[in-house]
Amino acid sequence: MTETTFGFFDEDAKKEIRRALLKAISLPGYIVPFASREMPIARGWGTGGLQVTLSIIKEDDVLKVIDQGCDGSVNAVNIRDFIVSTTEVDTTSLTAKATVIQTRHRIPEQPLTENQILVFQVPVAEVLTTVEPDTARQKNMHAHREYSRLWVLLYEDTAQYGDSRISNRYPVEINDHYVMDPSPIPRYDIPRLNNNPALLLFGAGREKRIYAIPPYTKVTPLTFVDRDFQVETFPGISCKRCGTSDVFFDEIQGVDGTYYYCSDTANCDSMLNRKQNAA
Amino acid sequence: MLLDIQYLSKIYGESCGHCLEQTGDEHGRAICPGCQSVVAVNRVNLRVEKDEVLGIVGESGSGKSTLLQLLYRDIKASSGRVFFQDMLDSDGLPVDILKLNLLETTVMRNKLMSMIYQNPRQGLNFLFSAGGNIAEKIIGAGERHFETIRSRALHFIDKIELPISRIDDYPETFSGGQQQRIQIAKALSSSPKLLLLDEPTTGLDVSVQAKILDMIRMLQQEMSFSMVVVSHDLGVIRHLTDITVVMRNGSIVEYGLTDQILEDPQHGYTQLLVSSIL
Repeated sequence: MTETTFGFFDEDAKKEIRRALLKAISLPGYIVPFASREMPIARGWGTGGLQVTLSIIKEDDVLKVIDQGCDGSVNAVNIRDFIVSTTEVDTTSLTAKATVIQTRHRIPEQPLTENQILVFQVPVAEVLTTVEPDTARQKNMHAHREYSRLWVLLYEDTAQYGDSRISNRYPVEINDHYVMDPSPIPRYDIPRLNNNPALLLFGAGREKRIYAIPPYTKVTPLTFVDRDFQVETFPGISCKRCGTSDVFFDEIQGVDGTYYYCSDTANCDSMLNRKQNAA
Repeated sequence: MLLDIQYLSKIYGESCGHCLEQTGDEHGRAICPGCQSVVAVNRVNLRVEKDEVLGIVGESGSGKSTLLQLLYRDIKASSGRVFFQDMLDSDGLPVDILKLNLLETTVMRNKLMSMIYQNPRQGLNFLFSAGGNIAEKIIGAGERHFETIRSRALHFIDKIELPISRIDDYPETFSGGQQQRIQIAKALSSSPKLLLLDEPTTGLDVSVQAKILDMIRMLQQEMSFSMVVVSHDLGVIRHLTDITVVMRNGSIVEYGLTDQILEDPQHGYTQLLVSSIL
């Protein structure tokens, strides 16, 4: 059996990804192409996030991987096992202990710190795809900050439904310049991108694109001046397991009704612990 | 003077460098004998005054639509300069609009001039509702208040005599004449100083044509903007314009008051045109 290198990739491959990352961090919200590598898992299953994680992770890093907020889902477990098998880093489910967090579709409930890097798995990197299919024109539109067609979508939804119908992947403007796709995180997480102390990296493996939001960057969702950005609220709802309210919930349809559970399982665990210790 | 066009030319194909001198009305051809390039517009000089309505007539392939598309920057000019009143650079000098970048072109299109195309599919985005199409123009001009955008869109839907209850319907659910009216609403929603119309009523039935022409005329008097109207229909030109230019083989062959051109044409081609249609 041949020995694998640290972090699966050879050093040249990691260097190329790191170069793309540096460019992305220098131009917040700008989409940087990179040579997405073949991976032992299919493209579209988190390969973008995985390549970013593998190229930045060090021996002393502590890794956390979540899928829709959950540390224990199949995808999260497999990705975590794969990273550990090629790096032997320590893993954790505690948000506060992790230095590198790879995520799909959520930002952990517990606020992040300057010592943490959050890596997003991205299915569709280009925010303009819905209004302009031509890649060359998309680039031109970004270069000239010509986003009026995104605003028209917002206008149409507001006119007909009172608010934008976008439930996830809500377009955000980064540092008053580029508009980007924040990956399919719920609206609830959008305000938490703003001025976040952690470095936020976005990797799209199938689309071969990388982009980033540096720490403490202004992130604003596209919103009309005379309208407020609305996030999901869960009035009167608390987690069936830990009893917490005011977090983002998963809705579970049971035989005898609808239950709500914390979407962030690590946060649910620690809330449950705290409750049991108090009792 | 609102618009000043100087030596505007458009050559399709690799130019041999002598195309402009070897084509045009005096040579009776638009194809350069040296390099076979097509000279669509040949050194056109034209001025449009404030609130003036200028008509451009000519046969198919005479370059009248190309001239309009050059002004709206849909296509790139080969040579020439175009100045627009109040388009000044930071030093207060007039800016050649043919040299604007994409962002400046967008601003120009959203604030200074609008184009109405013969085919509504060119002027409207069929993926957006009628109101969305109008909103696109208002948003492009920099407006970010929803209520302002909505009320202006409603205002213009009402102006073009569509029921305001249909504001959120999509263009394909409207008839051809209604689509053309939505195009007019979109074009006027940003209060442009110049409206470019490329065969605005061609392909519509006669009663709808008359209604749209009346509407354009009424709105022009009410909102006071200049217009450049391209048409091969002398009825449209007579109805709308104050001044008419006649184009042939890419160059202007006659310029004058519309009445004068239609009643007392001087150039042989204009005489042919007027006698064959009237």
